[in-house]
Amino acid sequence: MKPTRTFRWIALGLLGLYVLIPVAASLQFSLEAGYKGRLSLTAYSQALAEAGLGTSLLTSVKVAAGAAAITLALLVPTVIFVNLRFPRWRAVLDAVSLLPLGVPAVVIVLGVLGAYRSLPSIITGTPVILALVYVILAMPYSYRAIDASVRAIDMHTLVDAGRSMGAGWGKLFSRVLLPSLRSGILAAAFLTVALSLGEYAIASIMGFNTFPVWLVGVEGNNPYVAVALSISALAFTWILLVALALAGSGRRRRSRGFGAGLVGPEGEDEITPSLAPEEEAVA
Amino acid sequence: MITTTMATAPPPTSAGHGPGTHTGGGVAVELENCRRTFGKVHALDGFSISIAPGELVALLGPSGCGKTTALRAVAGLERLDEGRVLVGGDDITDVPPHRRNLGMVFQAYSLFPNMNALENVGFALEVRRAPVAQRHKRAGELLELVGLSALAERYPHELSGGQQQRVALARALCAEPRLLLLDEPLSALDAKVRAQLRDEIRRIQLEVGITTLFVTHDQEEALSMADRVGVMRAGHLEQLGPPSEVYSNPVTNFVAEFVGSVSRLPGEVVAPNSVDVMGSRLSIPASTGGDLPIGSQVDVLVRPESIRIRPQADGTAVVARAAFLGAVVRVVAALPNGVEVTSTLPASEGHTLPAGTRAGIELLGDVLFVVERQGSE
Repeated sequence: MKPTRTFRWIALGLLGLYVLIPVAASLQFSLEAGYKGRLSLTAYSQALAEAGLGTSLLTSVKVAAGAAAITLALLVPTVIFVNLRFPRWRAVLDAVSLLPLGVPAVVIVLGVLGAYRSLPSIITGTPVILALVYVILAMPYSYRAIDASVRAIDMHTLVDAGRSMGAGWGKLFSRVLLPSLRSGILAAAFLTVALSLGEYAIASIMGFNTFPVWLVGVEGNNPYVAVALSISALAFTWILLVALALAGSGRRRRSRGFGAGLVGPEGEDEITPSLAPEEEAVA
Repeated sequence: MITTTMATAPPPTSAGHGPGTHTGGGVAVELENCRRTFGKVHALDGFSISIAPGELVALLGPSGCGKTTALRAVAGLERLDEGRVLVGGDDITDVPPHRRNLGMVFQAYSLFPNMNALENVGFALEVRRAPVAQRHKRAGELLELVGLSALAERYPHELSGGQQQRVALARALCAEPRLLLLDEPLSALDAKVRAQLRDEIRRIQLEVGITTLFVTHDQEEALSMADRVGVMRAGHLEQLGPPSEVYSNPVTNFVAEFVGSVSRLPGEVVAPNSVDVMGSRLSIPASTGGDLPIGSQVDVLVRPESIRIRPQADGTAVVARAAFLGAVVRVVAALPNGVEVTSTLPASEGHTLPAGTRAGIELLGDVLFVVERQGSE
């Protein structure tokens, strides 16, 4: 076992260096801002003063939030019902969700503009259409996140149990299914948000001034500010990841009585694999 | 074909109402000529059964016999192609499952992972929009009934398998259902916990007095818990009767071989209702049915407790294997014609019959079932 663990740590360390060295170099670049050996937050304070930061960031955030909301509204019921009622269609859904991976950004833009030409301009002329495109772009990842959490629970038994106790579908969704799928739903939302915040090509071609598009424009004028903004965006993404992990792990909260270890008349009961041995409480 | 040894459903062994646990009482349940087909498979094929108020009936049978389909049809989780389901005289065949007011316990993984034990148990009342205080009071009473009041705040992943099933049982009883359905609730548990929980479920069922339909493939569970046992095969009932009746007087070859263990010995009918087996003349049980002509070559089914295997230097049988089972030793001896017979001895005597020992076989006079040798039923 030891050699495998050592190899694992070496591999992780090398991967960490591969990722962190460029980030560290970028951070140093943004902190030095042309004055080698002297660190300051000049580039960051200049970034905050750049014209267009607020509007482009707001546009990106709105588009990302809209894309996440549409993704969840569309995919969560679909995945649940396909798994419950039409399991043979899972393979089809799986294949469809992968289609966006094979289509270049330019082709997507041309297709979207052509397909939705007849829609009102409040959709086609505003970032709303960008949100719709991002729903499709994120689908390979968001679908998988939701599908994985659906497969991790015995949904059929939970639904049968709920129905046998008198719950209609509304109650089942709100009190049983959605809470049980929380980690997958959060992961799908995060992946959609992360993709939306960082997407440049389609937004640029369609002419929307999102944060990545604006950032590319800034880079030409002040590279230190551009790198500072990139580092800030990266930090923001990491904070989102941590928040997601914390929100997902909140499900495994401990109760007040856990681990009291009182001995029952039957002695030790058989246990589920996730728990250390414990004794049953006295009635 | 349905064969039942009881013309009418008998009253339960005992029934009572625990204080504040259940006031609904038991109701009668009937399934009439139920059929359900999945493709070419007839999961239910003319299945009919009557359950008396407060009775616990166990459906026993091999995998694929239709017992779970029957249970799910009562719950409304499986639709019927034909037939009716009546609970308390009401035809609920077309009533959706969430309107049937039944309680159901599943094999495993049915507790809602996002709710603690108290919330799980009170869920049925939450669905019915009962006030929180009432829900918690009722859930608390039921957790006390199943001996888990101290674990009310724990989540399912913090409970053992046995504890989870107790919570599931309490949850099924919360809204005072008319009928309790148990779908192999003990099969995912280890042997010791299963035995403990078996007694507990029966105690609670008797205390509450609720009519219960219990599905299992474990014979020991069925025989020890039920007022009546229904043995199923290929979508229909082979026999329905009290455990002792099903065990001692099977009406079909399948029931004789499925329930308990048997040895199959060659014999010959020598007189009406009499068969010669290895030189011993034994009576043919009335439940075998049919007139077997004299001279018929038959297979006689005998229980291990009706066979005595003892060491005998000039015996014609040879002990093939002896398995230590704790309190008893199961001995299998081979006859010269290759037929094997099984018997059990107290563990203290097991050392007298190791493998390879010459032995004598004695039949103690109780024949379970007789079939003509050419075919089985």
